Amino acid sequence: MPLLEIRGLAKQFGGLQALAGVDFSIDEGEIVSVIGPNGAGKTTFFNTISGMYPPDTGEILFEGEDIAGLTPDRIAKRGIARTFQNVRLFPNMTVLENIMVAQHCRTSKGVFAALFRTPAFQREEAEIRQRAVDVLGFFGTRLTGYRFEQPAFALSYANRRRLEIARAMATQPRLLLLDEPTAGMNPRETRELTGLIGKLRSERGFTIVVIEHDMRVVRDVSDRVFVLDHGTKIAEGSYADISTNEDVITAYLGRPTGEGAA
Amino acid sequence: MTTATAPAVLGGDFEVRKALRGGLLAGTIAVFISAIGMVETFNERLIVDPILSLGYAALLWIPVLFGYRVSKRLALEGMEAPKVGAGNVIAGALLGATGGAIVGAFVLLVDAVNVRSTLINVTPAMIDLLAFGASVAVGALLLVVVGGALGALGGSFHLINPRVRSSVLTGVSWMFLFAFTELVFGDIFGTNGLDWLWLDRLMYGSGRGLTIGAAGVVFLAAVLASLRFKGRVRGTVARFQALPENKRQSRGLYLGAGMLVAGLVLPSVFGSYLNEVLASVGLFMLMGIGLNVVVGFAGLLDLGYVAFFAVGAYTTAVLTSPLSPNVAPQMAFFEALPFVLLMAAIAGLIVGTPVIRMRGDYLAIVTLAFGEIARLIFQADWLSGTFGGAQGILQIGKGSIHTLFGYVVVAIGVVGLIIGFLRWREGRRLDREGGAAHLPGNSTPGMGITIMAGSAGAIAFGLLFPSFATWTVTGIDSEAVFRMVLMFVAIAGYVSWRLQESRVGRAWMAMREDEQVAESMGINVVTAKLLAFVIGAMLASLGGALFAVKIGTIFPSSFKIVQSIIILVIVIVGGMGSLRGVAIGALVLIGILGGPTQTGLLREFQEYKLLLYGAILVYMMLQRPEGLLPSSRRTRELHQEEFLQDAWIKTQEGAAAVAEVEAEEAET
Repeated sequence: MPLLEIRGLAKQFGGLQALAGVDFSIDEGEIVSVIGPNGAGKTTFFNTISGMYPPDTGEILFEGEDIAGLTPDRIAKRGIARTFQNVRLFPNMTVLENIMVAQHCRTSKGVFAALFRTPAFQREEAEIRQRAVDVLGFFGTRLTGYRFEQPAFALSYANRRRLEIARAMATQPRLLLLDEPTAGMNPRETRELTGLIGKLRSERGFTIVVIEHDMRVVRDVSDRVFVLDHGTKIAEGSYADISTNEDVITAYLGRPTGEGAA
Repeated sequence: MTTATAPAVLGGDFEVRKALRGGLLAGTIAVFISAIGMVETFNERLIVDPILSLGYAALLWIPVLFGYRVSKRLALEGMEAPKVGAGNVIAGALLGATGGAIVGAFVLLVDAVNVRSTLINVTPAMIDLLAFGASVAVGALLLVVVGGALGALGGSFHLINPRVRSSVLTGVSWMFLFAFTELVFGDIFGTNGLDWLWLDRLMYGSGRGLTIGAAGVVFLAAVLASLRFKGRVRGTVARFQALPENKRQSRGLYLGAGMLVAGLVLPSVFGSYLNEVLASVGLFMLMGIGLNVVVGFAGLLDLGYVAFFAVGAYTTAVLTSPLSPNVAPQMAFFEALPFVLLMAAIAGLIVGTPVIRMRGDYLAIVTLAFGEIARLIFQADWLSGTFGGAQGILQIGKGSIHTLFGYVVVAIGVVGLIIGFLRWREGRRLDREGGAAHLPGNSTPGMGITIMAGSAGAIAFGLLFPSFATWTVTGIDSEAVFRMVLMFVAIAGYVSWRLQESRVGRAWMAMREDEQVAESMGINVVTAKLLAFVIGAMLASLGGALFAVKIGTIFPSSFKIVQSIIILVIVIVGGMGSLRGVAIGALVLIGILGGPTQTGLLREFQEYKLLLYGAILVYMMLQRPEGLLPSSRRTRELHQEEFLQDAWIKTQEGAAAVAEVEAEEAET
């Protein structure tokens, strides 16, 4: 059984058919890249899976259960976490707090426990902190040490992107949705992140769907490439297949119309 | 351009245009506060007997401050310091004279033309006051001269050593403080069995202002003390802030506990007036703490907070008053309290549920409406059977709070029982996971059972002897009321402090930052918002309950929108999201100016309170939007640029320090 299976997913905004019946599936442990020209519906695809928009029609089966129409927090709790194309951290919370708060759905202590500082509350707080330190340690020393107490807005652009991935990891998901993780990074940072995406699977065991524009990253990380255009799948397969696919090239470069007349 | 710069020999900056513009503004302010009658009302209060009244003080600070500000230049580190000289004084004098001329023109105008039909406060007495008792023509000239002189005085502050300048300012502030608190000292010296009336007579003249001698002593003492201790306070605060997190927290806890004890002991020497004021301060602090949870922590702008205050007050009234029309169970205050909290929680849910999906401005408008709806419900005729309609409810709690310590013991016992049970469960869990993990301080099943047994004993004792000790607080006994209020404030403060530093508090924080993302990260925003509303409502209802018993009578008109606004102003001026800030905000605003119906230390401000609230709010938003004592988080948020610069400097210093240590290690 695939970890995530999507059938006939459709979403319309006014007159715009952002997704027009997309079928998609990913197995446990896979890394799949979603590519497509601007406006193809990639981010809408993520937004619909993560519950920010309920789909108009279609099924989203996660671990065999339909999660279409659930609220984002329920879906996060089921085990799907995401990052955002235009980094959306909690800018005024510290690096550590950003990670601690993301463990909300994996922890349970409420008002009463907090007021009386019950042993279980103190233990849970210590665990939350420890896990946050552990998650941040995944990125080497870039987000550790004095950075723990820095507000997120003070981080460099690349570090903000890393922190966002760390925050998604902290929700302890099975499936990670990364929306253009290398956008705006320089070539060295992009290379480093490419390696990191591989490590996310090999060391942490996440299944990953990644939207990406940088074809080198797509080539290096993905087991399979999924191409969207105008809200429909136009191709799917290995990077080698996709890179020579006529439809994909047309979608990206446009069909040379009026060639004969010229 | 009419801008003229003084010749270099004068030194200092002097721009004619700027001075004239400042003078225009200063004059307009002076005319305004005179025309609304502030000066005349304040004139009855003497600061220094018999030479300075609050009325004149309210006018005369304007040219001094503006005269100082007009030639103030920003001094930046590493830049050439602005030159000072006669230019500063001349600018101040010109500004002051311009302002004086405007007020003079006003005096001449209102003397010639009768404007009392529109400006009822422009009385002959006021004109006389502004003209310093002389004829209007002479008075107008005098105003120009006095304005010019005071402006020059303000300008000349640039010429003196900043240290001395700030000390003089401290001295003047203390003088005013002593003059303002004349009633309080009269109370303390006169009514507490301390036969210190001689000191009172020495300090305050027959017009109840400081005597000239006393004013001089206070001023000098404050100046000397400020010169001596300058910088020490700031140093202590800085050292405190440099402490590691856990130490800071425990020190803060000791400090808070110390203040609580002082607050419980000191009222007996405060006298009734100060206690009355402090009780109002405490009441608003309590509600400020509650609103701070909603607005400061969760970021939900609630403008109808008074609704919960009303629910608390009315529930208490209905349950405790023998005169409550329909249902009159005549409970004691503490018996009613659980129901008050329950009703408040329900009210919080009722208001919270429909506004879950609203944000920002929309939320503010809808909650504003809910605040009014609550008042109208309590006022409605069809519910007057329960709430007494416009007549309100009298004899609440028979005017007193009767505490049976037996029940307090029972309450503590119940909490102990729960804690004991949790310890027991925790101990069992630890045992299951491997008994060797026991460390001192860890829970064991035995420990849990002991705590539970003790708690059960306490409950039994409390139930058997409910009145082994009692404490009755009547509404007119302001000393006891203040103590009672203070204890509730302590509880509210503790609740809000603990919640902020917990999983719940972090969820609120994230929701405030970005609701959509918070939801995507697994935070149930519906629960989080409702929880904030409910906790805020419960804290407000405690305030309402105390208010009802303290006053003994409540009417729907006690719960107007202005209450919500004032509580919000306390939170904003004090520092949103900061407990200390809310405390300071309540002390400054309610303590000095007074609440909507309560008086503060400056009783003369009664009529002009809302004006001043507005002025303070505008000033704070322009100059210090983070509040008086903000949380570091909020400061960071509103001053990101500065923070980033500081952080950069620190990183440089840190890198240098690390390099140094590494170099040393490399040597050894």
